[in-house]
Amino acid sequence: MKMFKQLRKNLAFNVIGAIVIMLIIFSVIVSTIGYLSFTNAFKKEYDETTYHMTNTATASVDPTRIDYYLKTNGQSSDFKRTQRYLDSYCLKMNVSLVYVIKVDTSDYGRFTSVFNSVGADTPYKPWKIGHQQDTTNDEYARIYKDMYENGLTRGTVYRFTDLKGAPPHITSLVPIKAHDKVTAIMCIQRPMKEIREVRYKFLAEIITAAVIMAVFVSFLASDFIRKQLINPIRCLASETTRFANENKRGDLPDQFAKVGEISDLAKSVYKMETDILHYINDITEIEAEKQRIGTELSVASTIQENSIPNIFPAFPDRTEFDIFASMTPAKEVGGDFYNYLLVDDDHLAFIIGDASGKGIPAALFMMVTNIIVSNGAQAGDTPAQVLTEANNHICEHNKADMFVTLWLGILEISTGKVTFANAGHDDVAVYRKNGRYEYFKTKHGLVVGAMQGIKYKDFEIQLEKGDKLFLYTDGVTEATNADNEMFTLDRTLRELNSMKDASPQGVIEGISKSVNAFVGGAPQFDDLTMLCLEYNGADSSKTLKVDATEENMGAVNDFLGEFLEEHNCPMKTQMQIELAIEEAYINVAKYAYGDGAGEAEVTVSFENNELTIVLKDSGTPYNPLEKEDPDITLSAEERPIGGLGVFLVKKVMDGVAYTYENGQNILTMKKVIE
Amino acid sequence: MQISTKNENGKLTIFVSGRMDTVSAPELEQAIKSNIDDAQELVLDLSEMSYTSSAGLRVLLVAHKLMSKKGGMTVTGVNESVMEVLEITGFSDILDIK
Repeated sequence: MKMFKQLRKNLAFNVIGAIVIMLIIFSVIVSTIGYLSFTNAFKKEYDETTYHMTNTATASVDPTRIDYYLKTNGQSSDFKRTQRYLDSYCLKMNVSLVYVIKVDTSDYGRFTSVFNSVGADTPYKPWKIGHQQDTTNDEYARIYKDMYENGLTRGTVYRFTDLKGAPPHITSLVPIKAHDKVTAIMCIQRPMKEIREVRYKFLAEIITAAVIMAVFVSFLASDFIRKQLINPIRCLASETTRFANENKRGDLPDQFAKVGEISDLAKSVYKMETDILHYINDITEIEAEKQRIGTELSVASTIQENSIPNIFPAFPDRTEFDIFASMTPAKEVGGDFYNYLLVDDDHLAFIIGDASGKGIPAALFMMVTNIIVSNGAQAGDTPAQVLTEANNHICEHNKADMFVTLWLGILEISTGKVTFANAGHDDVAVYRKNGRYEYFKTKHGLVVGAMQGIKYKDFEIQLEKGDKLFLYTDGVTEATNADNEMFTLDRTLRELNSMKDASPQGVIEGISKSVNAFVGGAPQFDDLTMLCLEYNGADSSKTLKVDATEENMGAVNDFLGEFLEEHNCPMKTQMQIELAIEEAYINVAKYAYGDGAGEAEVTVSFENNELTIVLKDSGTPYNPLEKEDPDITLSAEERPIGGLGVFLVKKVMDGVAYTYENGQNILTMKKVIE
Repeated sequence: MQISTKNENGKLTIFVSGRMDTVSAPELEQAIKSNIDDAQELVLDLSEMSYTSSAGLRVLLVAHKLMSKKGGMTVTGVNESVMEVLEITGFSDILDIK
């Protein structure tokens, strides 16, 4: 069964099988048609011959004497002569029966026998003259009637099957007429043995011939098909399989097939192989090129990442502000950027920008813009001046007609005043402490790079302690989810207000998370860049570093006095504070470094009516607070000289604490100033 | 700090003005020690002294101990903030303050 299924898939088996089946069908049809037409012709010929025999026989019968013969019961000499003639005719013609009958014309249901001759080897017995017989069947009755009444001149009845002991035969009937009046009917019955024999023989021959033809043609056809079609196709099939496995050009004989189509197919296969090899080659080259570009892109990506500050905390020793930013390009490199830099001790410049387009062109444009704007900001100009200059500079060399939106702000650290200029960038979101985020809407200048000679305008935002600024690119507001909805400005504001207390890093991570959750599985379409700045208020602290010597006590005192005067410290409190710092400082000067030398650092700060003095030295670790307080109830004689300094510090200050950190003794003293 | 001394029949009066801190206190100690031999009694007029640290207290204690063997030591004109320091340290109980 399995083998048959496999054979069913075999081309040779299918084609040759189909041919054989068609030939068999063809033979059967041809045989049938031949057999039928042969039978017909033979029958017709048989009919004709029998008719002529019958017709000839009629001549021997005197039509006018029929009734007489019957009346005389065949005793007349001419009857006997005719009977003898017919007997010998019957034998000579080798027929079964020759007989003449007179039919009862009332209903043609009966007839009377006149002459009756029976041939050799027949089962019949001759009828005597006058023998009455019922008409055999309606067919005979109809012929009789037609002959007597309608002038029918010949009739034929076939018996193909044995009937009542009679073998298959043909009966030919011819009327015997006297003066155009039918007086009797001459019938000759002839056996059909011959026709049957000849017919079977013919059938056998034609079938044999058809079978021989079929087999012969099958062989011929299958040979031709195998050589001209199947073998070349097999050859092609194995060639394509080989090519698919090896990917190498193959070799087939030139005169591969005589059939044009197959030969064309072979040529096409070769052309295809050649083309495919070309394509493979091309694709390999393209792939290598792609890999090279990929490597370059990844280097470019690293360069770009490192072209903007990305180490946080950005200014660990600046307590007045906290800044955090992130840039996530949609591709390896992007057109978004941010930057921040300290112009001087009191000014922080921060920038966010979005160059038109994406990918490498935008990235190159962004790098150039960043350098120009950062340099401009570094020079100390106002944001509007920086943007105006940058725009002119970029327009001069902007052959690619690119542009960039920019938001540049400069924070005056000591006052919290932010001066900014906006070149077509989205409005900054400002958070007011204990309030909420709102967009700070101003008129936007034209994007940088669009038109030379544009003048930008400076705007101001006054930041108080705890206020925050949030800057972003349209990668945030236009982030799109699978349903084609955008993140929008409103949603950004909502999300910001849901994390009002977050630090700049928290804000950016929070928004990033919200955007990612919103976008879901949709691919990131645009660069995503954010910057957040929190203003912690001006730093009121002052620091003095001196060599830890007793002689520098005056300098420490002056430094402190100046600071306290600035903060309108009452005289009495000032005395107490001076006392405390003197005692603490003298301890350091005398003991911290032993016989060696070292530095002491005094930092004073004032916040919420509280003065904090931090005294640091890098000397021998020593906690002065561990020393037991002196007994102040002792009499003068019992009193030891000295040992009161630290005690005084504790007494005059509201709080004293000691820690040892990073190799430094740190003494922190606090005093509330009314 | 400025120091001036006056000896009237064995009563030594030392007038101190300004700040008596770690740096200046040794000057007072020196002034007391160099003048004390001729004195039976010591008066420290601190009315113009604005400030003292523990170094000043130390000098006061030293002087007090020296004078206790003689006619004693009196401190006058102590201003409020100096007085506070004396009180904190219990010196107000030891010294004869007028």
